[in-house]
Amino acid sequence: MFRKFALISTLATYILIFIGGLVRVAGAGLGCPDWPKCFGRWIPPLDVSQIPAGVNAAGFNFTLAWIEYLNRLAGVIVGLLILTTAILALKNFRDKKIIFYPAILAAFFVAIQGWYGSVVVSSQLNPIAVSVHMFLALIIVGLLIYVTQHAYYLESKQTQEKKADFDKTKNWIYVLLAVILIQIITGTQLRSQIEILSEKFPLLFEMEILSRVGVINYLHTIIGLAVTILTIFVVYNLFLKKENLNSFMRLNLILIINMIFVQLAVGVGMEVFGIPPVLQVFHMWIASLFFGVVLMLYIEIKTYRIEND
Amino acid sequence: MIEKKFRNVIISIVVIVCLAMLTLVVVDMANRSRAQIPDLGLSPEMNLVERSGSAFGKSNMLGKISVVNFFFTSCKGPCPRMNGRVAEMYHKFSTSDKVQFVSISVDPARDSLTILKQYAENFGVNDNRWLFLRGEIDEVQRINELGFKLGGELPSLHSTKLILVDPAGKIRGYYDSNDDESLRLLTTHVKELLRDLHDS
Repeated sequence: MFRKFALISTLATYILIFIGGLVRVAGAGLGCPDWPKCFGRWIPPLDVSQIPAGVNAAGFNFTLAWIEYLNRLAGVIVGLLILTTAILALKNFRDKKIIFYPAILAAFFVAIQGWYGSVVVSSQLNPIAVSVHMFLALIIVGLLIYVTQHAYYLESKQTQEKKADFDKTKNWIYVLLAVILIQIITGTQLRSQIEILSEKFPLLFEMEILSRVGVINYLHTIIGLAVTILTIFVVYNLFLKKENLNSFMRLNLILIINMIFVQLAVGVGMEVFGIPPVLQVFHMWIASLFFGVVLMLYIEIKTYRIEND
Repeated sequence: MIEKKFRNVIISIVVIVCLAMLTLVVVDMANRSRAQIPDLGLSPEMNLVERSGSAFGKSNMLGKISVVNFFFTSCKGPCPRMNGRVAEMYHKFSTSDKVQFVSISVDPARDSLTILKQYAENFGVNDNRWLFLRGEIDEVQRINELGFKLGGELPSLHSTKLILVDPAGKIRGYYDSNDDESLRLLTTHVKELLRDLHDS
C-alpha cells in the first residue's frame, strides 16, 4: 500500500515536471497574473466579462489562463499525493527513519514549492525564481525516489547479502550525480540568458540569440560532454562486474546509457534547429529523469543487495 | 521475459510520442491565442508634419506597425512617464525598421518643430523609427476624437493610451501606458504583427 503510493507520487511528480516545462515553452506561465486565484477567481474566467471589477483584465488570454490553471491543478493533485504518502509514513513507519524522514521532508518541500509558485508568478517569471522552482522539484523527486526504493526493500524478501566491490564505482556515481546537478544549473542559466536576451531584443530568432549567449552555452556543452564521459565510465565499470549486478541495476544501466545518448542528441538538436519547444521540454524532462535513474542506481548499490535467484 | 521487455519499449515509445504531440498541440494553441488581435476599424486620415519638416499622412503608416500616442512637450506628469515607456519599446524594437512610434502633439501652439526636435533628442531618438508630429489643432482634435475615439479636453486631459495600428492601417488595440500588464500585451501583439508581416 505505502510503496504503491510512494511510487505513484514519484511518477506523478515526473509528469508534473513535464507539465511545468510545457507551460514554460507555451509561454503560459503568466496566464494567471495572480496566485493562487486566476484573475481574482478560483475557476479562471471563460470570458473577459467574468473578470471581477477591480482586477486588471488587460492581459487576459483564455488559452494561456487555462493552461496555467491546469498546471496548478495538477500541482495540487501531486501535492495531495505526496502529503498522503507522508501521512502513511507517519502512521506506519515512525520507527523506520530511513523512510519516515525523507517522506516528511518531501511533504515539507512540496508545501514550500506550492508557496514558491506564488513567488514565481509575482516575480514575473524571474529566471532565477524559475530555476529555483525546478530545483525544488528535483529535491522532491529525489526524496520520493529514496522513499519508494527503501519501501520496496522493506517489503521484498530479505535477500542474502553478497559483498561485491562496488565501493569505487559508488563514489564515481556520487561524482556523476553532483556533475548532473551542476549541469542542470548551467542548463537553467543558459535558459535564463536566452530569456533575458529575447526580452531585450524581441525580434531576434532563437538561433541568433544562442550565438549571443556566449560562455554559458560553451560551459553547458562542455559539462554535457563531461557527464557523458563520466556516465560511460561508470556504466563500463559496472559492466565489468556484470555477474554481480542484479536485474534492477541492469535495468538502470540500460536506461542510463539510452538516456544519455538521447539527451545528447536532443541537446545538439536544439543548437541545430534553434530550440524548438518540443525538444526544449524533453531536454529538461530527460535531465530530471536521468538524475532520478542515476540516483536509483546509487541507492541500489549503496544498499549492496544481490538477488539470490 | 523478452516479450515483456519488448512491451515496455513499445509503451515507452507510445508515451513519448503522446507527450510530444501534447506539447505540439498546447504550444500551437498558445501561439494561436497570442496571435488573436482584435480589429477595431480603420485608423483616420492624417494631415500632419513631422519634426523634420516632412509631411505625414496615413500613407506613412501603411506597411508598418505603428504605436501611436498623444502628448505635449510641456506636460509635466503623465507625458514623460508615458513617453518613457514608449522609449523602452523604441529601444526594444531597435532591430526592426518595420515598427515605428508615432507621437502626436496636442499642443501645436507651443510645440514647434524645433521644440519637437529638441524633445526627441532628450529621449535619445536619432532616427525615424520614432516620429514626432504636429498639425493644426482642429486636425489634431479630429484625429484624436473621431479618428482614434479618444476623449478628453486637449491639451491637458489627453489620453495616456498607446494605440496599435497594423500595416493595413487598421486599429488593433489600445494599451494603458501606466499598466505593465497592458504594455506586455502590446509587445506581444507587435511581435505577432511583425511575424505576419514577415510571413506575407
